[in-house]
Amino acid sequence: MAWILPLASSHRFGGIDAPVRILRGLGGGSQGQVFEVAVGEEALALKWYFPTFLRRDPGLAERLAESIRRGSPNGDFLWPLALLRPTGPAAAMLGGAASGFGYLMPLRPAGFQGAVEHAAGRLTISLQNVLRSAFFLARGFHALHSLGLCYKDVSLGNVFLDAGRGRILIGDNDNVEVSGRGGGAVVGTWGFMAPEVALGRSRPDGGSDLFSLAVLLFLLLTRHDPFKGALERAIPCLDLPARRRLYAEEPLFVFDPRDDRNRPDPIEHAAALLTWPLYPRALQQQFERTFGPGLSDRRSRTLTGQWCQQLAATLDQRRLCPNCAEENLLDVRLSGLCRSCGAPLPPPMRMRTAAGLVAVAAGNELHPHHFDLLLAEDLDHPLARMVAHPRRPHLLGLENLSPHPWTLTLQEGEAIAVAPGETASLAHAAILTTPNGEVTIERPGESSAQA
Amino acid sequence: MAFPNVRLASRPLHFIYVCDCSGSMEAQGKIESLNQAIRQSLPGMAAVARDNPEARVLVRALRFADRAAWHIPTPTPVEDLEWVDLQAGGVTAMGEALELLAAELRSPPMEQRALPPVLVLISDGQPTDDFEAGLAALMAEPWARRAVRLAIAMGHDADGEVLQRFIGSDPARGSAGGALPPGEVPGASGEMPRHGPGRSPRRPLQAANATTLARYIQWASTAVVGAASSSASRLADAAASQEAVPLPDLPPTELDPLDEPDPLKW
Repeated sequence: MAWILPLASSHRFGGIDAPVRILRGLGGGSQGQVFEVAVGEEALALKWYFPTFLRRDPGLAERLAESIRRGSPNGDFLWPLALLRPTGPAAAMLGGAASGFGYLMPLRPAGFQGAVEHAAGRLTISLQNVLRSAFFLARGFHALHSLGLCYKDVSLGNVFLDAGRGRILIGDNDNVEVSGRGGGAVVGTWGFMAPEVALGRSRPDGGSDLFSLAVLLFLLLTRHDPFKGALERAIPCLDLPARRRLYAEEPLFVFDPRDDRNRPDPIEHAAALLTWPLYPRALQQQFERTFGPGLSDRRSRTLTGQWCQQLAATLDQRRLCPNCAEENLLDVRLSGLCRSCGAPLPPPMRMRTAAGLVAVAAGNELHPHHFDLLLAEDLDHPLARMVAHPRRPHLLGLENLSPHPWTLTLQEGEAIAVAPGETASLAHAAILTTPNGEVTIERPGESSAQA
Repeated sequence: MAFPNVRLASRPLHFIYVCDCSGSMEAQGKIESLNQAIRQSLPGMAAVARDNPEARVLVRALRFADRAAWHIPTPTPVEDLEWVDLQAGGVTAMGEALELLAAELRSPPMEQRALPPVLVLISDGQPTDDFEAGLAALMAEPWARRAVRLAIAMGHDADGEVLQRFIGSDPARGSAGGALPPGEVPGASGEMPRHGPGRSPRRPLQAANATTLARYIQWASTAVVGAASSSASRLADAAASQEAVPLPDLPPTELDPLDEPDPLKW
């Protein structure tokens, strides 16, 4: 690729004291190019804009400066750190590129891949980590929207995923702006834009972000496009007029409960048919609402906080098939059949807390929000994790991840102490007492009266 | 314990180079520059293809000199493509090349469903055969009419008129938005002049040297592929566009030969 900044050279820029060394080009698009740079000892990313793009977006520098002053909404953003303008000798040396500017941001850490890798089926990820990623994505937007900001250009290309941990990072934050201000040149990406934005009736804002977020969540959860069904299959050439019809003029959700004209094709859209049934009704209904009434009525779109709530609740339903160990999501009080091997799934053991009911399965966690109805869902500080015994995988224990000792009361009445870092077997557990609150271990059959 | 082994549905995106290999392409190493430019562009093209799981980017190439023939006849996934050098020698059977192209854009062999194809015509001279017949055969095919058609003129002996007819007229020209300032050419997709004077992807791209050629080839194989698969961010000033594929900004070049018609610098 032809790089607009000279590689392996150091320059002084206005906006930062240390010289910036351009190490290598990372990629480029229609707006500019991204470089790996060293500022002192620190490795960072530098996005440098093409002058042609800057002419389109005269408010860009001011918008970036505002974002830099404000700081990142939470740790899930590759947020702009400093605006760089060439000064003095750098301006002369950078030639034509010097008429522009760029901004520094953190480098994408190792372990994170483009979310496209997930959509393209090129990475292995657990259902739990897909749900966790979706949760963190919704929470990132929740944090952004809570500051009165909107993101505007939601797409698969702007999100990075750590498949092993179920974490995300949101990149390309240069369109972020106070919601409703309506500035900026970028209005979105086809397939993600809300209909009113795609039709040019309004500028992107927090309300249109909610639609785009739902598209991205749907893609993460199903590896399918929410509007590609029979109607897309009927289009020979998927060009812009066709996309406009499909996504903006006559959009119809593939799983619309009242209109089945756009159902996925069993062969071409197999992903949707396989993945959509994995999810509980309560979660499916959020999509039906956002992609149904929410197409035209912005108030019907699921809010970021509601997504967090639903996704966290879905994680609590995760249970493993006793036959094939596959992950299944089912109402914890019900029996069912394994999605993978078809074996019967009896109702699982579960943990009841003041504000939660969590299926017992290796990998499931208890969080502060399970103990307090007033706490927002948060997966960052788990208090307890269910773990399989290293040699007896069917024996489950509860690991104390909190800094406080617990007391576990067994069914026979004996009480044992569980220090931080210790794992207690759940085989005969009845009640766990923690500083956060009490956890009742319910076994199917014996607790149906309470449930 | 894994997410089901499924992936996003995709459509083929056919990318076809149509390359002039007439004897004049041998002069000043033009054919080597073209071979180099295409070969160098492949990793970037593969990266764009990878980032667009909704598109299966398939590359072919046609060459024309005394006769036209498929240079890379099989639609090849870009990551598997090994560029075989073109050799120059002969006259300029561009018309026959367009007829061969037309035959491949018919359904079948074209799939029933695809993304808009991208056709890139590269020439340094005048057709010596029946260009009109070739163009008519090509434009009779719906897939050709819906294709993104780009033309790169290598040097100033290229027939700009012929290349413009391959591209078609600039749909933005004379459309709503009123008169443009003198010297401005309408941009890719709107009323606003979005490209420097004289430069527009809807006009033949003048590549007067190897660097500019490489930039245009890189642009066509990355930014245009992204646009044809609609993965690029959309800009507000393109909102009114009625085009089938709004084209991205042209890459920055140090020298715009249309601004200063210069001697060849190969």
